[in-house]
Amino acid sequence: MSDVQIKKFVVTRFDPDKDEVPRSDTFEVPCQSDWMVLDALNFIKDQLDGSLSYRWSCRMAVCGSCGMNVDGAPTLTCKSPLSSYGDTVEVTPLSNFPVIRDLVVELDGFMEKLKAVKPWIIRAKEKAVEEGPYRQSPEELEDFKQFSLCINCMLCYAACPVVGNEPDFIGPAAIALGYRYNLDSRDEGASERNAIFRGEGSVYSCSFANECSEVCPENVDPAAAINQAKLSGLVDWAASLVLPRGGKD
Amino acid sequence: MARAAHPQAMQPKKPGTTRTAPPKMPDGFPGKGRYRTYVAFETTGLIYLLMGFIILRAIWQLGAGEAGWNGVMDAYRNPIMIGFHVLALVGVIFVGVRFFWLFPKAQPPRIGPVRPPPAAILKGMLYSVWIGTTLVMTWVLAGGAF
Repeated sequence: MSDVQIKKFVVTRFDPDKDEVPRSDTFEVPCQSDWMVLDALNFIKDQLDGSLSYRWSCRMAVCGSCGMNVDGAPTLTCKSPLSSYGDTVEVTPLSNFPVIRDLVVELDGFMEKLKAVKPWIIRAKEKAVEEGPYRQSPEELEDFKQFSLCINCMLCYAACPVVGNEPDFIGPAAIALGYRYNLDSRDEGASERNAIFRGEGSVYSCSFANECSEVCPENVDPAAAINQAKLSGLVDWAASLVLPRGGKD
Repeated sequence: MARAAHPQAMQPKKPGTTRTAPPKMPDGFPGKGRYRTYVAFETTGLIYLLMGFIILRAIWQLGAGEAGWNGVMDAYRNPIMIGFHVLALVGVIFVGVRFFWLFPKAQPPRIGPVRPPPAAILKGMLYSVWIGTTLVMTWVLAGGAF
């Protein structure tokens, strides 16, 4: 049996049917030394207040559901040991997102942005099945692998100061996931995506605060993707001015 | 207490039927905690704006001939002006260091068949050019070239 320590949890509550604005509730939780923040939230939900709402699923930093602000920092709660926090822990919903209830934020805005960057392989002409698979070397995979590790946890959006000020900004995760396909040797849709990156909510809104990369639990480095997309978008635009047929094949 | 974000931040184009609480900016933004360095970086823009006005004024005064030039020189000896230029120097160094730190990750994984050099070498090249340019400029301004 591990050591037990009482910690105070100050948790944001918001019931859209009752509350005008979000408020806070405080819970005292007997925490075991090996607990993560999510374990304490589960204890509150199971033992103290069953109405507490939050998202979680895998408990191993893969699904990206349990992102919240813990002591002000965007964090995956299943990956954050309670031992790294003090006697009082503040848990709030992710910044920059509208709040649906308690710690649950509205993700539809992100889903729209993600769809807008076309995060799938675009081919000018699909190969016939009998022509075999699209082959890719380990070196070609290495070009984009880092950006494909995104788990859509939204911590990068919660940390970005631009997202909160410019509603049209596509944002870190969506750009990283779109740019990932630009780097994929099987893809032929880079020009299409670069036009989106240059358009409404463009990559050039990013002022390179780098906070998205600082908080990313999977080391995806979205700031790198955004700033590489700035350069490739610019090169693509310049090529479209000087090359025949706008540089399109 | 976090500031309010833009009310439309991360809102879907077609809002759902449930009323939502408005989005908040990240905790501590802009003046506290993790955002201090970034905000300081952005704030240096004001220094460069002021510097631009000072240089424009100096150029304007040169139109008044030798008396104008002497006026500019006198103004540059003012302790406030010296203090401002020291602040500008600190700002430039800070921006340079931050830029060199972030520069490698902004490079594409390859340009054609060529991959960029490792981050440490890229940073080394940037610092070498910076130090080299500074030394040459110092030599020129000290009268070495004339």
